[in-house]
Amino acid sequence: MDGLIYLDNSATSFPKPQVVYDFMKEFYQSHGVSPGRSGFDKALEAEEVVHSTRKLLTELFNGTDPNHLTFSYNATDSLNRIIQGMISKGDHVITSNLEHNSVLRPLYHRKHEGDIDVTYVPFDTRGYIDPDDVKRAFRKNTRLVIINHSSNIIGTVQPVAEIGRYCREAGIYFAVDASQSAGAVPIDVKAMNIDLLAFTGHKCLMGPTGIGGSYVGENVPIKCTIFGGTGVRSAHPFHLDEFPYRMEAGTLNTVGVAGLYAGVKWVLGEGIDNIHSHEMRLWDKLRRGVQAIDGVTTYCADDTENQNPVLSLNIDGWLAGDAGTMLDVDHNIATRTGLQCAPLVHVHLGTDKLHGTVRFSVGPFNTEAEIDTAVEAVREIASMKK
Amino acid sequence: MDIVRVNDRELHVDGDGFLQEPELWDEAVAAEFARLDGTGELGPKHWELINYIRGFWKDSDMAPTVRSLCKESGLKLKELYELFPKGPARGACKIAGLPKPDGCV
Repeated sequence: MDGLIYLDNSATSFPKPQVVYDFMKEFYQSHGVSPGRSGFDKALEAEEVVHSTRKLLTELFNGTDPNHLTFSYNATDSLNRIIQGMISKGDHVITSNLEHNSVLRPLYHRKHEGDIDVTYVPFDTRGYIDPDDVKRAFRKNTRLVIINHSSNIIGTVQPVAEIGRYCREAGIYFAVDASQSAGAVPIDVKAMNIDLLAFTGHKCLMGPTGIGGSYVGENVPIKCTIFGGTGVRSAHPFHLDEFPYRMEAGTLNTVGVAGLYAGVKWVLGEGIDNIHSHEMRLWDKLRRGVQAIDGVTTYCADDTENQNPVLSLNIDGWLAGDAGTMLDVDHNIATRTGLQCAPLVHVHLGTDKLHGTVRFSVGPFNTEAEIDTAVEAVREIASMKK
Repeated sequence: MDIVRVNDRELHVDGDGFLQEPELWDEAVAAEFARLDGTGELGPKHWELINYIRGFWKDSDMAPTVRSLCKESGLKLKELYELFPKGPARGACKIAGLPKPDGCV
């Protein structure tokens, strides 16, 4: 669609860097074979790209063993493998009101089946979890703390290092949903005491959809929850326990891995800090612009510290979905409206009664002129209800 | 599930008022839904859009895009909201008897 102003980068970053499209096309045409398993040279070359991507991401997250960096379809897939692989009947899990349904729903199901108990830690008026609230929720049977590093609705970046320290001191495993933070802000699994990290490839890492993964710490006793082909030791009746096989089964999405490789290379080449600075400058311009409009309410958007470029708002007199429709059809601006798959955030903010919010999320290719247009569009929509 | 009475019939609707059995829709249903949601009496322009929505839905099992509604009717979006104050989905599509459109709400 010509002239589209794309401000839905939290859903998926778009467009991707040209090198991602080019590399995927070239790789799939020249190396679209089953990686590694068949043993011929082309298959081994394809496996090299897979292993290079494991190494690249392991370095990005400051992990130790690239074989513990494993691939999946997306963050939801990895979070399910983490949750189902780590918890057992009788366990207690701590999570937060900031979570996406990719965490909430697996936990709801296990709780509904009577397997586990779950504590939901709130966030404060600025959008942050208090690590001491997490600590206060610890029980003798607490097995796992799982926290959203960066909210997909309000963009606040949580103090995971402090939470991780508390968890490590208490001997509780700590998992982080890095869907919105991997590639956007630094993640150091060692310094932050993160035992399990789930990420997706198609957001800030600039890869395609259909590829995500996790990093699991070396001494984390995660159970295998997916069983099948590994390409090695096929006579063994059980799925292999060693990494990466413990977390993977079946042929990988190799073209997705290749796109992720190119995306991460692009992010590192541009510099995570540089991309983040650009996006936050635009986010701040957007925030200040819309906050100056009578009838606009923003949520947890106080300053640029510990923040990703995600802004949720409502306009007096408009349901979020209708405001989003106006932005789309009349102004050619793509946003995300509704509950954004994180319903507890909206219950907490009271925006569930307004059918959610209009969410603007800035990406590396957005410009100041686009932000100016977005602010004027919000102003025009707000003026229509006066 | 709620009930809406149209003449002598009882029609099931969901919590947002969308018809649960679209095959039971007719013009009397549309008129009653329009009365209930404040759209009021349906005029020729309303019917033009309602018929377009129903035709599109019968062909594709989907609601048309808002852009295509505007293009088909020659209306600006603001005018479409004036015609259907509840908007394209919760107004026009509901009155046209479509099930509630999927969306992240």
